[in-house]
Amino acid sequence: MSLSVILVKILEYMFVAGWVGSAVVLVLTGIEDVGTLLDREDEHSR
Amino acid sequence: MSSTSNAPTGNNRVRIVVATSVMLTFISYWRAAAVILNDLGSSAFYAGGIAEQAIGKSAPWFVLGVMLFAFAVRAVYVESCSMFVRGGVYRVVKEALGGTLAKLSVSALMFDYILTGPVSGVSAGQYIAGLINDTISIADAHGLIPSAVHHLFHGTPQVGTNATAVVFAIAVTLYFWWENIKGIEESSEKALWVMQITTVMVVMLLGWSFFTLFKVGGHLPPFPTLANIHYSDTSLGFWKHSKLPHMFGILGLIIGFGHSVLAMSGEESLAQVYRELAHPKLKNLKRTAIVIGIYSFVFTGLVSLLAVMLIPDDVRTKVYSDNLIAGLAMHMVGPQVLRLAFRAFVVVVGFLILSGAVNTAIVGSNGVLNRVSEDGVLADWFRRPHKKYGTTYRIINLIVGLQLFTIIVSWGNIYTLGEAYAFGVVWSFVFKTISMLVLRYRYKGERNWKVPPNFHIFGVEIPIGLASVGMVLLSTAIVNLFTKSVATVSGIIFSVVFFAIFSFSERVNRRKHAHTAAQMKEQFQLQQAESVERETVGIRAGNVLVPVRDYNTLNHLKWVLERTDTHEQDVVVMTARISQFGAAAYGLSTEQMFSDYEQTLFTRAVSVAESFGKKISLLVVPARDSWSAIAQTAHNLDSSGVVTGLSSKMTTAEQAFALGSAWEAIPEPKRQFVLQIVQTDGHVDTFRIGPHTPTMKNEDVVLLHRLWLNVTREPGLENIHHHDILTEALTRFAHDYGARDRDDIVKELRRHNVVGGTLPVRRIADQIPTVQPKPVRPSHDDEPSNPEDDGSE
Repeated sequence: MSLSVILVKILEYMFVAGWVGSAVVLVLTGIEDVGTLLDREDEHSR
Repeated sequence: MSSTSNAPTGNNRVRIVVATSVMLTFISYWRAAAVILNDLGSSAFYAGGIAEQAIGKSAPWFVLGVMLFAFAVRAVYVESCSMFVRGGVYRVVKEALGGTLAKLSVSALMFDYILTGPVSGVSAGQYIAGLINDTISIADAHGLIPSAVHHLFHGTPQVGTNATAVVFAIAVTLYFWWENIKGIEESSEKALWVMQITTVMVVMLLGWSFFTLFKVGGHLPPFPTLANIHYSDTSLGFWKHSKLPHMFGILGLIIGFGHSVLAMSGEESLAQVYRELAHPKLKNLKRTAIVIGIYSFVFTGLVSLLAVMLIPDDVRTKVYSDNLIAGLAMHMVGPQVLRLAFRAFVVVVGFLILSGAVNTAIVGSNGVLNRVSEDGVLADWFRRPHKKYGTTYRIINLIVGLQLFTIIVSWGNIYTLGEAYAFGVVWSFVFKTISMLVLRYRYKGERNWKVPPNFHIFGVEIPIGLASVGMVLLSTAIVNLFTKSVATVSGIIFSVVFFAIFSFSERVNRRKHAHTAAQMKEQFQLQQAESVERETVGIRAGNVLVPVRDYNTLNHLKWVLERTDTHEQDVVVMTARISQFGAAAYGLSTEQMFSDYEQTLFTRAVSVAESFGKKISLLVVPARDSWSAIAQTAHNLDSSGVVTGLSSKMTTAEQAFALGSAWEAIPEPKRQFVLQIVQTDGHVDTFRIGPHTPTMKNEDVVLLHRLWLNVTREPGLENIHHHDILTEALTRFAHDYGARDRDDIVKELRRHNVVGGTLPVRRIADQIPTVQPKPVRPSHDDEPSNPEDDGSE
């Protein structure tokens, strides 16, 4: 396997692993966001 | 208290208080979201088209993926803002990776900012040119174009799309260049208004598109698999002749993602509006992030998807690739004239939001360069204020010069511009995220929120979420280096040139600042203060505040010193350091806090004071605008008066109105003060700022007195005072204005305002029937000021 193929493979693993982790970020922050949106306190700043 | 003066204080140095907190008027999260969406939302007009040109019909899935991923990037910004009030790229990278990489990252950011202008301007021009051409074509199809015109143009007349886009982009850039030179800032009010109109368009667009889908049907774009990604001639860059992009499925996804990443440009604005967000800041930042996340996902993401579903392939790729939303408008169900009208509306909205983005690019670039300039990374020469307008015109000229150069070189090719644009976007995010990872271990200060999830192994935190976002960004940025040859070459050249300018300037500044620091050590004593307080500045209440900006126009300071006994009343000379988005810094060293221009300005002010043998206190106040700075400083220092020179841009009345408006924005309790504007010929106009007894014209006094005389002759009203008449009159006026007669009142007042005349009080006074005096009444203490007008007739 050439060096470029190895590097591309590393990039691919990074991208996929990154997306899996980012999906977890999206879910966790999404749950928190729902809480933030439902929290009506301090709405006066609107 | 006396230590604030320029009088000998043991070591003969004048103390200058430099406030470090910017005097801001705070905004709600809705307004903050509107400001950001003016930049972020504008990419909906071109991102989908550019992505499809690069990777084919499956592009909308990548745009949707980018908009989804943008939520995670936003989380990184929320964490950085929870650490630093100004948690932008430069600040974060400098904290984590040091000055060299900070300069490199800010170079990439500048590339992003500077290209925002040309991309937006050219895109708006493309929409306008497309509308003109389609309107002419439709008119021609209906036989409305005379045959002579046909002969003249050898067919249906059409404007050159790219040439029109270039001319329009240059015109808009020049317009905002002049606006920025004059220092007229865009308000969050205007941003909100633009987003309201944009929202109307988005709702209509989505509603009509879904209705069209329901009526005529449509197919989803092909899913993003290697087989469905069709690279264009230019989308593989240095890998054009390589087999790699065709060998790996996931690499194809990264390439597609990299070609769509420009859809999330504008995220940096989140860090820049944070410091202006109202309390509770972090919660409001999160709310802002949610609003812009959902809005841009729906607008940019869904519009790209619907365009592919509704516009036939051949028309979309040949005619509407540079003005996708216009194409969408023309392919709805409904009468052609209605579709054309809606398209015109799309163009108007596009013009508003994209023109706003051109301005944002200039303001943002100016802010970032001001910011690094304050850190000593850009020579003070760049920050020298414009003689007339006080703006950093040299930085603005540099930015606009680069933008005009980019527009002309690209010759209206939105695809080339967009490809290059992505370089700055993705690399500034990469620097930012890596720095945030480093700061997880190095930063020991306050941090109110972290990107989840985080695990601990043997007491060591593993930031899974942050690392994941970083991995996606880094892999995309590296692949982009190979697939976007134009972006890579132009981005690297630009970044290297800017990096060299920053490094050279920093070296020059270091030497110069060493000299300046030594000079200042002899002349000034700098004292940093978080906020402007009377105790900090060391002055008494009732002082006179003298704002100064140009060291050649200090006549108003001379006027004050001539008339003020500084033993009895303190004189405070202040200069406002205007900081736009991204400007001003924390933790600057002494020599960086104080530019050589400010030093010259204060040296002149001190020299004027010395010529009168009087004391002055010196103050530097950072602020978003000078009127807020003056009003808030006068308020904080309990000043009884503000004396300023005549502005080159405004009349005295306009100056007083601007200061009065800034005063109104200060929360209660607040004290009133007198504003005196000293003109060049020595004439002084005086205004009271805040509620005060108005100066009454003699006719008004006569009218009041006549009314009083008549009313007091009514049985039971003998003891009525003049002020009772006024109270009753004002109460009735307030009632009428608030209810039935508002329009009439406004019309009448406006009429008198336009003709420049006064209300015809004398006429009204003459119409009041005279009641013959009954018994002689004793005079009240509030008799009219003019004894001749006693009201007897």
